[in-house]
Order: sequence, then structure tokens, then C-alpha cells
Amino acid sequence: MAFFKKKKIEKDESYYLASQWTLMWRKLKKHTLAKISMVILLILYLGAAFADFLAPYGLEEFSSLYKDTAPTKIYWSDEEGNSCAPYVYKLKKENIKGRDENGKLYMETVVTEDTSEKFYLTFFVEGCEYKIFGLIPGNIHLYGLVNEAGEVDRSARINIFGADRYGGCIFSRILFGAQVSLTVPFVSAAISFVLGILLGGVSGYFGGWIDNVIQRVIEVLSAIPSIPLWLALSAAIPPDISVSAMYLYITIILSFIGWTGLARVVRGKFISLRNEDFVMAARLAGVSDFKIIVKHMVPGFLSYLIVNLTLGIPGSILGETSMSYLGLGMKAPATSWGVLLQETERLADVAQCPWKMIPLIFVIVTVLAFNFLGDGMRDAADPYK
Amino acid sequence: MLKYIGKRLLMFIPTILIISVLIFFIIQLPPGDYVTSYVAAMAAEGEIFTAEEIQELRVYYGLDDPWYIQYFDWMKGIITEGDFGFSFEHNKPVWDVIMERLPLTLAVSFVILVFQYAVSLPVGIYCANHQYSVGDYFWSFVGFVGTATPNFLLAIIIMYWIYVETGEVYLGLFSTEMLANGMRWEYVPEFLFRCLIPLIVIGTSGTCGIIRTVRAQMLDEQSRQYTLTARAKGCSEATITYKYCLRAALNPVVSGLSGSLRTIFSGSTVSAIVMNLQIQGPVLLAALKSQDMYLAGTIVMVQAILVVVGTLLSDIALAWLDPRIRFSERG
Amino acid sequence: MDNNNIIEVKDLRINIKIDEGTLTAVRGVNFEIRKGETLGLVGESGCGKSLTSKAILGINEKKCKAEGEIWFEADELGRVDLLTLNPRGKEIRSVRGKQISMIFQEPMVAFSPMYTIGNQINEATLLHITKDKKKAKEISLEVMRKVGIANAEKRYDQYPHEFSGGMLQRALIAMALVCNPKLLIADEPTTALDVTIQAQILELMKSLQKDFGMSILFITHDLGTVARMCDRVAVMYLGKIVESAPAVEIYKNPQHPYTQGLIGSVHKIGTKNQERLFSIEGTVPLALNLPAGCGFYDRCHKRIEGVCNVYDPSLVDIGEDHKIACFACTGCPNAPKNQEVTDK
Repeated sequence: MAFFKKKKIEKDESYYLASQWTLMWRKLKKHTLAKISMVILLILYLGAAFADFLAPYGLEEFSSLYKDTAPTKIYWSDEEGNSCAPYVYKLKKENIKGRDENGKLYMETVVTEDTSEKFYLTFFVEGCEYKIFGLIPGNIHLYGLVNEAGEVDRSARINIFGADRYGGCIFSRILFGAQVSLTVPFVSAAISFVLGILLGGVSGYFGGWIDNVIQRVIEVLSAIPSIPLWLALSAAIPPDISVSAMYLYITIILSFIGWTGLARVVRGKFISLRNEDFVMAARLAGVSDFKIIVKHMVPGFLSYLIVNLTLGIPGSILGETSMSYLGLGMKAPATSWGVLLQETERLADVAQCPWKMIPLIFVIVTVLAFNFLGDGMRDAADPYK
Repeated sequence: MLKYIGKRLLMFIPTILIISVLIFFIIQLPPGDYVTSYVAAMAAEGEIFTAEEIQELRVYYGLDDPWYIQYFDWMKGIITEGDFGFSFEHNKPVWDVIMERLPLTLAVSFVILVFQYAVSLPVGIYCANHQYSVGDYFWSFVGFVGTATPNFLLAIIIMYWIYVETGEVYLGLFSTEMLANGMRWEYVPEFLFRCLIPLIVIGTSGTCGIIRTVRAQMLDEQSRQYTLTARAKGCSEATITYKYCLRAALNPVVSGLSGSLRTIFSGSTVSAIVMNLQIQGPVLLAALKSQDMYLAGTIVMVQAILVVVGTLLSDIALAWLDPRIRFSERG
Repeated sequence: MDNNNIIEVKDLRINIKIDEGTLTAVRGVNFEIRKGETLGLVGESGCGKSLTSKAILGINEKKCKAEGEIWFEADELGRVDLLTLNPRGKEIRSVRGKQISMIFQEPMVAFSPMYTIGNQINEATLLHITKDKKKAKEISLEVMRKVGIANAEKRYDQYPHEFSGGMLQRALIAMALVCNPKLLIADEPTTALDVTIQAQILELMKSLQKDFGMSILFITHDLGTVARMCDRVAVMYLGKIVESAPAVEIYKNPQHPYTQGLIGSVHKIGTKNQERLFSIEGTVPLALNLPAGCGFYDRCHKRIEGVCNVYDPSLVDIGEDHKIACFACTGCPNAPKNQEVTDK
């Protein structure tokens, strides 16, 4: 391998001068799975950011007619079989009467397609009002339906992933749910990050009784199984609070455990780096403690911390999802992926409406993507690979 | 060695005390208490309590004191009489409620733990010995997906899949017939099948995690100088794998024991609710929702203590496994 | 095969597969070791000397592919080409440790930290000499005493971390010698040790060689130890032997420009302080996609353009037991067809 490194340097002088981050980025780009994951996550986050535009229906647009209905069937050809612009039919309720095989009379309400009128799938359709990021107002949605006259008709709906038990469009709700489910872990990771560096640093730098106390607290927190702890904490969230307050509570709860692992790492690094020659050299040169920490010590393990954080995100996604799933987190009409998954609570519901499992695919893909990305980053951050 | 164990045992006590304080504090955090939620429930049924009655109930249940007094009373009960408090919801002592499900909870957790190691060790070793083979890639993929799939979602998927395949709903460890007729021999196959589902659901992520650890550790050890020495000495590949590499690779696996236990408890809580298992998860959720605080607190505490015991055991096992730790502790 | 030779290495090539392609780390090495002699294999780090020695035992990593022939006079197998044996098979294992054994550069990591020294030495005894545990322990203890481990009975049950570096190297030597091998490969055995300990270990090896009557392949980059230890020296550069001669001859009369550079870069007692040590310019090129011609071309001060960068020299006799691969010293190739031309 010695040969190999030498060649790299000769071939590419900039290799010498590249910063640690550039090197990491280069190695990360070689990691195919990490690269794919990054693209997937980017798409998911963009989807969450522009949910209002991408989703055909707003958070509060329900239609009782469409309750528990399967993904809307899109027709690509007309009755004669000639291909034409994609269209759908709206649904109608029908009461039917009949006799079963035992000759018993029964009555049933079924929802069927109303084939009398076609609704065409069109891009950039007017819909409910929104404000992207709370700033940019608009009412144009990426896609929607217009009737044969070309006017927007709200009575017909297109639910590409089917509808939930209130008749809301699952696709739209996945996008809105992503706004919560994808950002909560990030915010809580940021809180964990600050807490971890702060408490771990204090613990490692000062030592003594402060170190002892913090270490004991970490030990205790990491002994309690995380989900029961999260559940216990989320039971303490007062009911009837606003969506944003709920959001805040959830992030704080999730960061309650997240920081401990990080603090442990930071402390360990502080203790080992404290005795390193380069720190000693800086100290002898008269550099202040603060500057030594910020300029010499932290950059040495920052990449490591970020990798750790990335690998911790799937855990928080899972935490938020479980809390909401169990009814201790976000509650309707606010939504998150966990709230959407509540619909799968009863097996009979799932069996009848398998499309309700679609949000689950999103959770798994996101968690997988973060795992792959974290793994790729770990490899990239390892200078010996 | 004895001194080492003694030292660990001594450290065990303050840890558990802090755990109990923390858990009690968290459990009593929700505004209101069991009386509040009970009164609210009664009010919905038309039964209205007066303020005096409410106060009387609080005094009766000892809920009018500040939380630390309640904590001390609770701890006093535990230490002096082994009394873990009273479950308002179930209207009997907490310990009785817990004992209804604790044996099964422990049995399930233990079986999962054994399952995890029984599967992951051989697979991990295989993958390390056949690095970059088809089998290795296959298991790496399974490992990744397995660690990434949240287990209660896996539960939903598996339940759905079984339902589609067989048309039967396998919720819980016991079928209604089993509960009605008691255990009979003819139920054994079905019971085992029912056990297999939670085993896979709760065990998968841990198993996949350990596979990855074992594989990475084995590869790491195989590149060590001492395997070369052993090979140069004429040792067979089996000796090198099992005597040298595996022994060294076991360290992180053993020290991960308490982590595994924690993951199992954590994972089984939600999955048990999804799969309606007769273990503690669902009881905990109900207790948290109704503010049955002594019950909820005790359940979380029992789990935490088991994790701490797991840590203790893995520390001892490590010292036994690794002469370096044994010696550094002696000195 | 000459009956005096214990081992003959013929045209050994080792290719390593890496992401960028195939790296030829050893490019046609030829040497032989005679009974009872010590051959020094000298070269910079990365010149392929360790790979060569490990190829003899077949313990290189899987990604290293060795070609060529390594003839060895084995006890049960008779005269055998070690490279044809399955590297995981029983036959080569009966050679390893018993007939050819090896000691390594860093004694601190050469033992598993998990088992006692006694256990690890005894393993070799149990594998090759006797199945009787009691007897095996006695044999192991005796060798431990022989290599100068005081208090062997107590040391036998101690773990590697309780040993000092020098003691561990002695234990490693004990492990290598316990089966009385014909050939001992010593891969930089003293590099990781203190200078005083180095001298002790070298003395020990020399005296043990007399006792056991074995041959030694001594690998090092330290010319000082070579002078002390070796009968003959082979100098390796970039996967090839560029010069081989008796040790005295190499010091007195180095021919190859690389050897001359190596000798010149050693500090000699008695030289004037002001005199600068000689250093060879440049660095070793990468053995991946090597250009045609002599590997030393870029760094050589005697290079002949149009010859040295076109043809690769092979070893030519220039005196009593003295071979050299250099056109500048042996004359230009007048018949290029006879010369080996490296593929691009």
C-alpha cells in the first residue's frame, strides 16, 4: 500500500493541500450507496420543503366520500382503446340491494366510479391557498384535476396513494408528514450536538467531581431503554397545545438521550488529546486554553462527531414515529409519518387497505438512506482507509 | 477477580439510586395525577366529584405531597417492605401487576438475546472468512436492511404478510383457544410459530447489528500480526479463526450485551403493543396514559436495573475473557 | 538442485491486485540459501523483501499472487516446489513452523494478547513434535531457557503484556526454534528494539545458529546488522535483486550504483564530522505500470540513456560469487533479444 499512497501524491499535488473536509467529500463521492442515499434524502427534503406546492390537497381537505378508498385509477386510453390524455373518474356512492346465496336480503352502500364524466389530470392547477415557508403565497399545485370544460372541479379527487380513514390524500399527507418527521430528528440532532460537546467537553476538560456527576448521569440515561423513556417523557407533554409547541417538546425529548453518546465520545477525545504532543506544543507556545480547544482539539474529532450524529438520526426518526404512532406525539389534524401509520394499527384495516402501508416505505427508505450515508461518512472520515 | 467484582457491585448501588430518582421525577412530570384523570373519566360518565372529595382522594393516595416526599415514601416502601406502591388502574399492588407479565417478558427477552447471538456469531464469522463472496454480500445487505427497519414497522409488515398468505391473524403469543382451554400438546406447534414472529420482529435489528460487529472485528483481527505468527507456526485455518481471531473479536460483542438488552426492551415495548403480546410493553403504555405512576415507574425501573445488571455481567465476562483487563484491574 | 542448497528461489514474481490494477511487487527474484549460511536480504521499505520471505511460507495475503518456483528439500515430501502446495493445506503446514519458521519485526504484536506465552510456544511443539502435553511443555521450557528467558517456569504462564519487548523477541525466537527448523526467516527481527537489546538478540541468533545448525534468511534494511550477521548479501531494489555477493565483498567492493549509495549513506566511525552522508536522490517509483528499463534508472547517476531506460538488466556474474544487474557496470546489451524487456 505504500506504493499506492505515493502515487496519489505525485499524481495530484492538490491532495497535499486539500482540507480534511475536501478529502472526506472526495472519498464520500466514491461510495456509491452513500451517493444514492444523498440523492434520495435530497429529494425527500425538497419534497418536504415544497410540500404545499407538490401536494394536490391541503392538510385539512378531506372528502368523506373518499374514506378508505384505494389509489385513484388513472386511465390512459378512452373507451375505444385509443390512447388519450390521462383522466380519472370521480367516485359516487351507490346503495345496492341483493340476496346472498342463502337467499337472505341485504343492503349495502358501495363506492364506485362514476363513469359519466371524465376529469383530466393536469399540471399546475389552482387549489387551496398556501404559503411556502410561511412566506411565499400561492395556490398553484403541481397537479390536479380539471373537468371536461377545463375548469377546476373539487368534487373529483386524485389520490395516487389512496385515502386515509378521513378521506385525506395519503400522498399529500406523506409530504406534510415529512415536514415533521424529517426535521424533528435534525433539530434534535442539533440540540444533542450542542449538549454533547458542551457537557462532554466540560466533563473531559475539568475532570474531578463535575466529570463524575456527568458520567453518572450519562451512565444512568444510557441504562434506561430509550423508547420507554421517550414514552414516559412524552406522557408529560400537556395535552391541547399548539402544533409548534408539540414539535418543540418532541425534539427536546428526542435529544434527551441523543447527547449522552456524543458527550462520552467528546470526553474521551478531550482526555486523550489533552496529552497529545501538538496540544502540549500549543500550550508551550502560549496559546490560550479556549483557543487550544476550539482551534486544535475540536477540529480533530469534528468529523467523527458528525458521523456519529448522522448515524443517530435514524434512531430519532424511529422515536418520533413510535411516539406519534402510539398517540403520544403529534395528533391529527397535524400529521407526521407516525400519525399516518396509526391507520395500520388494526390488522384488518391494513388487510383491506394495503395502501395505508405506503408511509411505512418512506420511513424505511429514509432510515436506510441515513444509515448508508452515515456508513459512507464513517468510511470517508477514517484517515486510514 | 473477586475484588474487581466487589468494586463493580459497589458502583451498582448509586447508579440504581440515581436511576430511581430520575425515573420517578419523569413519571410524575405530567400535570395532574391519577386522581385528576380518574375524576375526568368519571365526569364524562356524569359522576361529579366535589373539590373536597378530590382533595380527600389525593390525601388517601398520598398524592398531595411534593414529588420528593412521594419518592422517599416510595423508596422506603421498596427497601423496607419490598412494596413498590399501588397501581390505581389495576387496583392492586404494583408488584402483583408486574409479576403477571414479568416472567414472560424476561423469557421473551432472554430467548431473543440467545437467538441474536446464536444467529449472528456464525453468520458474522462466515462473512469475515468469505469476505466479498456472494454470501457476504447477501448478509451485508440483510444486515443493513435489518438494522434500518424499525421493528414495530417490521411487525406490521410481517403480520400483514402472514395474514395475506394464511388468512389468519396471529396476534399475541397465545390464541383464544389456548387461553380458554389452557396449554395442550396439540397447541405446541402453533405456539412456537407464534413465538417465532416476535423473535424475528424484535430480534432482527439486534442480530443484524451484531453480525456487522462480528464481521468487522473478525476482519480486523485477521489482519493482525499474531494471525501471521500463528500461520507461520503451522496452525490450521480453523485454529486461527476460532482460537485466535474469535477470542479477540468477542470483546466488543460481550461489551455490547447491555446495549443489546436495552435495544430488546426498547424494541419490544412498541412491537408488543402492535402484536398484542402479553408482555410489559402494553401495560406500560396504558399506565403512562392513565398516569398510574407507580406502575409505570416500576416497569421502567425494572428494565433499567436489568440493563445495569447486564452491564455488570458483561464487565465481569470481559475481565474473564481478556487477561489485559484482568491485570489492569488487579493493579 | 545443488545439494548444498537448502532452498532455491527461481524467478519469483508477486502480483498484488489493487483497485488501480495489478501491482508487481516482486519482479523475478532468484537466490539460494546454502546449508548453515546466513543470507542477508537488504533493501528499502517496500522493495518486496518481506513479500518474498512470506511467499516462501505461503503466508502472504490472498490478494498477493506468487508465481515462479521455490524448491525446498522437505523432510517427508522430499524435494518440493513450495508454491505448488495449497497455502491452506496440510502439506505446507507440516513445513511451516517445523522446517521453516519465521520471526517477525514487532514482537509486541506477534503474540496474541489473549493467551499465555507458554500456550503459544507450546502450540508449535504440540503441532509438530509430540501430542503428549507434558513432554511438549518440557521441550518448550527447555527452548525458553536456551534463548535466555530467565525463570522460564514462571514466564511460561505469563501473558505477552507482562513481557518486555526484548523478552518477547526471545520468546518469539524460542517459538520459531522449538521444532529445530532447517531454515529460519528473520524479518527485521531487531528493528523495533532498543540498540542494546538489538545486540543481545543478534548475538543470541548467532549462537543459536551454531547450536541448531540452521540456515537463516535475514531480512533487514540496516546494513550494520548485515555486516554482523550475514555470510552473503542480496540487495533488493523495486522487487528485483540488483546485486548479490559475500558480505565482505559487498562492503569492500560494491558495484551497483544503488549498493554504492546504500553503503555510502551509512555513517562510519572515523569519518570527519563535516563530511555529509551520501543520500540517494528521489524516491522509489510505484511498481504499478512501471516503464520499461531498469527500475533504478530515474535515480541512477551512471545511467546510459537509450539503454538503461529501454532494457531491464538481469544478474550477471562479475566475480567469485558476485552477481550484479547493471548495464553501466557489465556493459551494454549487444543482443537486445536476449534481454528481458518489461512489458508496458
